[in-house]
Parts: sequence; C-alpha cells; structure tokens
Amino acid sequence: MTGEVCGAQGDNGLHKRALLRGWSQAGWRRYIWVLLVCSFLGSGPAWGAAIRLGAINPLTGNLALHGIEIHQGIVAAVEEANARGGLQGHPVELLSRDDQSRPDVALNQTQDLLYREKVVGLLGGYVDSLVGPISTMAARHGTPYVAAASLQQSLTEQGNPFFFRVSCMSGVVKPLGRFILERLKPAKVAILYTATPGSTEFATRLKEMLAEQGIAIPLFEKFRPGTPDFSVLLLKAREQGDDLLISGGFFPDNLLLARQLREQRTPLKAFIAPWGVAYEKFIRELRQGSEGLMGLCAWNPGITYPGTETASQAFVKRFQERFGQAPNTTTMHGYTAARALLAAIEQVLGKKEPLSGPAISRELRSLDLLLPMGRLRFDEKGDPLDYRQVIVQIQQGKLQVVYPPERATGELWYPLNAASPQ
Amino acid sequence: MGFSLIFGVTHAFNLAHGELIVLAGYLAYALWHFWHIPFYWTLPVCILLLPVATLGLHWLLRRLPAPFELNSLVVTFGLAIMLQNLFLAFFSADFRLIMLPAAPVLDFPDLSIMVTANQALLVSLSLAATGLVHLFLHRTFLGKALRATIQNREGAALAGIRVGQMQLIAFGVGGTLIGLAGPLFASNMYLYPAGGMEATLIAIIITITAGVGRTRSLLLGGWLLGLAESLAVLLIGTSWRELISAGILLAILLWRPEGISSRKTGIT
Repeated sequence: MTGEVCGAQGDNGLHKRALLRGWSQAGWRRYIWVLLVCSFLGSGPAWGAAIRLGAINPLTGNLALHGIEIHQGIVAAVEEANARGGLQGHPVELLSRDDQSRPDVALNQTQDLLYREKVVGLLGGYVDSLVGPISTMAARHGTPYVAAASLQQSLTEQGNPFFFRVSCMSGVVKPLGRFILERLKPAKVAILYTATPGSTEFATRLKEMLAEQGIAIPLFEKFRPGTPDFSVLLLKAREQGDDLLISGGFFPDNLLLARQLREQRTPLKAFIAPWGVAYEKFIRELRQGSEGLMGLCAWNPGITYPGTETASQAFVKRFQERFGQAPNTTTMHGYTAARALLAAIEQVLGKKEPLSGPAISRELRSLDLLLPMGRLRFDEKGDPLDYRQVIVQIQQGKLQVVYPPERATGELWYPLNAASPQ
Repeated sequence: MGFSLIFGVTHAFNLAHGELIVLAGYLAYALWHFWHIPFYWTLPVCILLLPVATLGLHWLLRRLPAPFELNSLVVTFGLAIMLQNLFLAFFSADFRLIMLPAAPVLDFPDLSIMVTANQALLVSLSLAATGLVHLFLHRTFLGKALRATIQNREGAALAGIRVGQMQLIAFGVGGTLIGLAGPLFASNMYLYPAGGMEATLIAIIITITAGVGRTRSLLLGGWLLGLAESLAVLLIGTSWRELISAGILLAILLWRPEGISSRKTGIT
C-alpha cells in the first residue's frame, strides 16, 4: 500500500517536471500577466457583481416596533442606491436578519452573515444590549458595522476600529439637560429608567448634570422594561412633590406611564421621555392624553435639519409610496446608518481599492454628509460628531419643537396642564 | 383562572393561554377603535366569541397521541408562535391601548388613596368572575363533577362522570374567562404581538401558588403577589420587585407544594 502511494507520487513529480520544461519563456510571461490581471480584478467585486450588506434588527419580540422601523429605513436607503444605478455599477444586495429582540439570536445571525453570507458591512441594531454583541463579533471578523440606534458610551471607548453609530448619548443628554436648566427650572426631578445599558447611562449622566446645578432628585428608580404598573412610583412622585418626571423607558413603558399619569392626576409640571414620545403612533394611541407631553427626536417629517428640507420631503414621499406609512425618527436613524455605509463603500470602489473592512472603515471615518437628520461625520471612536436631538412637545395632536430656540416651531406649554403657551 | 381550570381538568399545559388573552384584547381593540363600539360592549362580544377559539383548541388537542401532557405543550407552543405572527400580520408590531375615561371614582388626597375608574372596573369584574366560578364549582352538580375530575379523573369516570364532556366544559368556561380577561388586559396594559408570553407566565405562577382549580386561592394568590410587588416598590425600591415575587413563589413551593390554601385531606 505504502509503495503504491510513493510510486504514484513519483510519477506525478516526473510529469510536472516534464510540463514545466515544455513551457517557453513567452508562455511564462503570459502566465505571469494573467496572474497579475487576475489579482488586480480580484481586489474588488467583479463588474456588476452585487455588494452584499447585512442588517440585523429586532423584527419580532418586544423591540419589534422600532426594529421594523429601522429595517424600513435601511431598505429605503438601499433601494434608493439601486434606483440610481447602484454603487459604481454594482447593485446592492441587502440580507436582513431578525434577532427576535434577543442578544444570543443577534450573535448567531451576525455569525451567519459574516461567515456564511460573507457580507462586506453590517447595519441596524436597536438598544445597546443587542448592538454590543454584534459590534464585538463584527470587530473580530474585521467587518465595519454602522449601528442605527446605540448610545452606551463604553461601546465606542473600547477602541473598536470597525464600529460606527449615527447616534450618541451626549446628543440626547446635553440638549435635554440644557432645556431643563434654561427653560423649566424645576426644584425637584423624578427620574425613572429601564434596566438597559443605554437607559441606565442616560439617567446617571442626567442626574449628575442636574445635581451639579443644585436640583434635587428625590426619586431615581430603575424598572424592568415591560413593567405593567407604575402607580406606586407615581404615588411616590406625588408625595415627594416632584415638578418633573423624566422617563428613560421605551415606547410601551411611556404609553403606560402617560396613561397612569393621566388616570391618577399626578400633579407634575412636565413629563419628558427621550424615547417613545415623539411618534405619531404615541399620539394616536393616547389621543388627548398625550397633550403637553414632551419627548426628543432627531428628525420627523415636519422636523428636519435646516438646509435639508427638499431631501427630507423627497424621502418622506418615497417612503410613503413604498411602505404606505409615514417615516419617523427611528426610521431616519436606519436610513442615515445605511446612507453612511453605502457612501463609504462607494468611495472605496471609486478609488478602485479592494472592499476590505479597513478600507471601508477608513472611508467611514472621513465621511462628511449632509442628511435630513443632520450633518454626519464620525470621530476617531466612531461616534457622530454633530448628533443633536431637539425637544418636542405634543400640542393639539402635533409635534412642535420647543428647544433649542433656533429650531423652535412652537411655544412651550408649561406647566403640563397649561391650556395656553407659557 | 381559565388556565388553572383547563389544566386541572384536561392536564393540557396551554402555553398559548396568554396569546388567547391577547387575541381577546385585539378583538376588543378592533371593535372599540375601528368600529367605535363602546368598550363595555366589547366585553360580552369577547366573552361569547373566545369559547369558540378554546373549543377549537380542545378539538385539536383531543387528536393528540400519548404522551398527552408533553404533546399538548408542544402543540400549544406552536399555536402561540402562530398566533403571534397572525397578530403581527393583522395589527403590525405597534403597541395598542384602549383608553377609558380617566375620572377617579374614589379620591382621598390626604390619605394618598385614589381608585381610578379603570382599577374599579378591573377589581369588580375580576371579583364577580371569581365569585361566579366559585358558585358554579361549589353549588352546581356540573361544577362538582368538574371538581371531581380535577381531583381524580379515573375515580370520576368510575363514578359515572363523563370526563370527555367535563373537558369540553372546562375549555368552554376557560374560554369565557379568557374572553373577559382580554379586554381588561387591553384597557390596563398595552397590546402587542409578543405580549401574551408574560400573561402565560403569570398564569403558570399563580396556578403554582394557588393550586389547581382552587378559585379562592387563585384570587388570594394573585392579590398576594400583586400586593407584595407593590409594597416592595413602595418601601424598598423597584429593584426588589421580581426578587420578592420569586421569593414568595419559592417559599410556597417549599411550604405548601399543593397550593397556598391546600389541606392534606383534599380540595377546599
């Protein structure tokens, strides 16, 4: 048996040597040229070949509402790119995955997209508990990931060169803190927040900011997302005489809080929630009960970054035709993340460089785009440099910007039950 | 109570219980929101229609081969996922609320006591439903036959009770209770496609706490857990809420594994 194998190897070796001797110098030159051309062509995708992008969002489960919104924003951006001929002649193929609002599923889906589907970039994600595991896996694989909705500071402080996001904590805490200090001037503030990394960090930073200015925070409580009853916490706020209630909860938590606030007639001067209030759906469900409530948003069909009105209206029109509903601030986060990644890939292709993770990340870092949500530039850590949300108040069923003054579209109603402007 | 009754009589571990409550909630929401039917009129509609769904589930489960308990678990889990996806298709992933008038019915500001109309409706209807089911189980021949089936199916069959019919009745009564619970759930919480899971979990916990088929204990167990959670939030903070519930559940399992008000001699 062994001898047969050795004999076979020897025959093969003789055959190869005979073949090599038979090649002329011209043949060798041709061979080297072909190799060079092939290696050059292999640096980017073949002409007309699709560029594969992956998107991981919570399309089912507790976070499905916002996950679907982000997904639609991403789809809108990809379809927009394909409608104008793709990226340097390459169509974009979006591979979408559902993480079921669970970090373990998010990790499995990320692995699938990176190792089996071999996508060149990742998009999407809602809440840091889902974005965090995806960013770690993407970094290990050397694939850029542009998160649509992530806030936790530590995610960008880990020195992950492949992680970028279009939102950041300071873009929420700073405008809200300034608004409270400059316009509301409360004596006592109650802060409720959820047991998620982003919400906890938001509450802690806001508490520090307000406490530095001498504002008392007698109620600072964490709750589980999906808590069915806030009546005890509202009773505490009532007994402490809190002027202001700030909720770090999500859309459903704020729906319940606002309803119970109204039912229990809690004598608060203002209710503000950065997430979940600035939505048409919130107004639709709470009806009159939503009047005077305040939230934050980065964009809305009627609230766009100055100078992007035409682009914003065109996006709203296209989106409504495609999905049969109006986009919102979460949708715009998904759209913005996708626009950033698509622009970076187009830059790499334009320079005829291989579509590698480091090249796309380098281009993401040098981007400077003006989009409906605002100017988009990333710092060295991957955080957006110009991300700032505005404070909105629900007035007569519409969202009105009440802060900052240069973007205000309406007068502030304060305190909460005021029938007329301040 | 619907979960406990169905489980007690049929031994079907209905993991789609919460989804059926959400189904009733969505039905009430659709009637209230799209057809502008007053909320109170949605209650009888759901009470009449949900037994149709639970009887359909009974028809499905009757066809299962042995082992019944395990197979019912798998089938109802599949049904729960199917219902969630149907909710997603018909109502999208949006969170839905039924908004009732916010007038308080009792308000003593000095004592920090306030009962809202919504809370009053919830408490009175849950008390009325528990009372009626208790009377049905303890004062009627049919109810006694149901209790006998819960205690010992073979013994009940030997005594001439048609166990198959008892199962049908248990699913019917369970469906009626789910039909009542759904709209109340929608008017106190919010509806969304995956919202049934937590309701199923609560039903399982209350059944373990109270014991199977014990109406008074179910009410007592539910209120005990609710009060303990609220007191924990008021006195020591929200972080303790789940820990307190889990502690009570563990204590009952150790102290009274047959249920909170069980007697060694048999059913209450």
